[in-house]
Amino acid sequence: MKRKLFALLGAGTLAVSLAACGDDSGGGGGTEGGSGESWILGTTDTVTAMDPAGSYDLGSSTLDYSVYQTLVTVPAGSNDIVGDAAEECTYDDPQTLTCTLKEGLKFSNGNELTSSDVKYSFERSIAIQDPNGAAIYLLGSITDTDKKGVVTLNEGAIETPDDTTVIFHLDQPDTTFQYVLTYPGAGAIVDEETFPAEEKLADEEVVGSGPYKLSQYKAGEQAVLELNEEYTGDKTGGAAQIFIQYFSEASALKLAVENGEVDVAWRSLSPTDITDLEGNDELTVATGEGAEIRYWVWRADSGVGKDVAVRQAAAQVFDREAIAQNAYDGTVDPLYSIVPPGYAGQKDSFQETYGDPDPAAAEQILKDAGVKTPVPLTVGWTPTHYGPNAEDEANEVERQLEESGLFDVTLKSAEWEQYQTVYKEGAYDLWMLGWFPDYPDADTYLSPFMVDGGFFQNGYSNPEANELVDAEQGTSDQAEREEAIGQLQDLAATDVPFIPSWVGKNIAIYGEGMEGIEDTLDPSFIFRFWMVTKNG
Amino acid sequence: MTRSGSGSLPRYILQRVLLVIPMIWVILTLVFVVLRVAPGDPVSAAMGGKLNDEALDQRREALGFNEPLLAQYWDYLSSVARFDFGTTFSDNQQVLHVVRDNGGATLSLTIVSFLIALLIGIPLGMIAGRYRDSVPDAFIRLFGILTYAAPIFFVGFLLQAYVAGPLGLPTSGMASPITVFSVEPKTHILLIDVFLSGDGAAIEDVLKHLILPSITLGLLICGVFIRLVRVNILQTMHADYVEAAEARGISRGKVTRRHAFRNALVPVITVVGLQFALLLGGAVLTESTFNWPGLGEKLVDYINDRDYGAVQGIITIFAIAVVLISLLVDIVNALIDPRVRY
Repeated sequence: MKRKLFALLGAGTLAVSLAACGDDSGGGGGTEGGSGESWILGTTDTVTAMDPAGSYDLGSSTLDYSVYQTLVTVPAGSNDIVGDAAEECTYDDPQTLTCTLKEGLKFSNGNELTSSDVKYSFERSIAIQDPNGAAIYLLGSITDTDKKGVVTLNEGAIETPDDTTVIFHLDQPDTTFQYVLTYPGAGAIVDEETFPAEEKLADEEVVGSGPYKLSQYKAGEQAVLELNEEYTGDKTGGAAQIFIQYFSEASALKLAVENGEVDVAWRSLSPTDITDLEGNDELTVATGEGAEIRYWVWRADSGVGKDVAVRQAAAQVFDREAIAQNAYDGTVDPLYSIVPPGYAGQKDSFQETYGDPDPAAAEQILKDAGVKTPVPLTVGWTPTHYGPNAEDEANEVERQLEESGLFDVTLKSAEWEQYQTVYKEGAYDLWMLGWFPDYPDADTYLSPFMVDGGFFQNGYSNPEANELVDAEQGTSDQAEREEAIGQLQDLAATDVPFIPSWVGKNIAIYGEGMEGIEDTLDPSFIFRFWMVTKNG
Repeated sequence: MTRSGSGSLPRYILQRVLLVIPMIWVILTLVFVVLRVAPGDPVSAAMGGKLNDEALDQRREALGFNEPLLAQYWDYLSSVARFDFGTTFSDNQQVLHVVRDNGGATLSLTIVSFLIALLIGIPLGMIAGRYRDSVPDAFIRLFGILTYAAPIFFVGFLLQAYVAGPLGLPTSGMASPITVFSVEPKTHILLIDVFLSGDGAAIEDVLKHLILPSITLGLLICGVFIRLVRVNILQTMHADYVEAAEARGISRGKVTRRHAFRNALVPVITVVGLQFALLLGGAVLTESTFNWPGLGEKLVDYINDRDYGAVQGIITIFAIAVVLISLLVDIVNALIDPRVRY
């Protein structure tokens, strides 16, 4: 017994001794072929699938943007789309998009990338119809859905007259289709000799033609990217080896970046943690424009929200600055349109229509409409899905509406699973939701919200909104598009089917020696690994 | 009673083995029912804020979630019987691979934590029992109560905040990324694979990562051992044979060392197995606190994603592990103490 105890004690002592000596062995260390040292990104995002046919989430697309090429892509700090695998994609007319591939493209396994691979990629994404995939949702202009919900590619929708030309024939005028092609979940190009036609490829086996190849993938633990030597495009200059570590708790990620266990923490620390880290001299908190929004939806076809005056009055007292400061410590920006700043055609319609928060003006709106005050209002929110600060926002909204003296608010919450059901059933007059863009165009904030009650089914319907959406999607004239997009935002401010609340910032926290982080923090939320280096 | 009666060891073992089947069936059924009764499903959890009802329904249909419950239940049981745990919905992994890859991390953590609990708990329990009602006894009892009662995430946070920095210990993961990348997964248990690799720096890295999580989890159950060993020491010290030895002039210290300590540890063995379930429960919280890539942490993620297949698979394997260990403990008990067979 004694011997055993001594042996165990010895093992424990060895472990502690080893801990006390030796330096901190992070992921650093020089590697050949890239710029600077290898480095580690920490994130709480999760990856649904490395096969683009099975993902529709930011965690997956963050890796996809580096591993795969799409026909077109979004450069940092811009909403203009440029060629990626394609030299260019141009509309012959609003229903025909022609893309010309660059010469000499290869996948990381050495196989050539031709127009046949492009066609195959779209065909298989649609054929697989993965429930987690984006293709069947975003590629509506080249697909048809039958009564049973089966989605099929339209006959002749993709034409490949030669090895470098791909022509998309859309079933309706749709100039947003080019933006959809930038999103890997819908438009990543895969190797037809590697990816099976009717099922997803295992995560660790995926092959792409992007600037990096996936050298290791351990679900929920880490991914390792290494330079793709076959890549000949413009996305160069990054480290030879990059580690992505996955964290399930934001608190663990915060500790890791504080202790230097990760070089960069990107998505998603709480506002409190970010504020705390801003005081750390060894770390830099970098902030770029964001695209994630929160908004409050009205039940527009029943209850008190059926009266547009009630909706307008609430919009008139809504104080977004107070929400951003009191609920989020200033880590978000007030949002005055459902389309956040930075997108072509964006305008602060709610600001233009209502100006500063003004309870007296709100009272007048209600008085003119003959609405008796205080208006009883059931306001809904959900505690976990949108993070811990959702409760603070709900309380702040309640305070603002109550203090105006015009509303008598009853705050109700439900867990996300239940919440989604009950808000559609009319449990709330006004409820909180969030949105993340699918592609870098204002349309991604308009068509899902304004047409026939939106995806959230709030009962709002205005033929003018439907016509404007058709108009902006159906024209390739940019000025015409922006005009329609502006009118849609104005209509939203007048009809108030929802009240925009705030837009998040794209925030990364990094340690010493990291460069290029700020350059990639833009509303597209593409983390461009090839632009980031670690030196010293 | 005859030899073939209920006191027979083979018969007892057979009875216990046969009981395993209904126990596992009950657990499987409970898991299935609870997951279906709880609101939500994987589709709405992942896509509820993005798609309309029609699109959500199409996806549920594609995944078979709209099948009758009995049909789903039968599919589930028959798959488990074939050791087919399917594929996770939320991250596209084979459930068996999840168990293989993450189970090793949990196993490493629980075993090392267990050793730490024994290393701390047994000596302290012995000291407390030997010096009953003394100052050390009071401190050790207080320590035992505190470690058992303190929430794991709180203990973990204290260690991360006040111990990790001064000692240069990592606060997350089971190894640095370069180690995870470079060590060949021969057994899928990193702690073993890293020793097989013979890479000194990698071994040091893995051991350093193991220290804080295993102490956190080990402290949870060392309180149980402290109290158990102390009580048994006290009881043994009053046993007739101890008094007889003392009456023969053997010193109290010698009697304690040679007789009381050894006998006091026998009941501890029977409790050891039962602590394994507690350890697995504690591992869930420890893994979350230290970003330890074990099954517990995966389970929490899958529950949040309402990933039926993954949750069912992992809980089933947890349950089978606990049931089998209980069986083993019962058999060892029956071997040590024949009274339990009756």
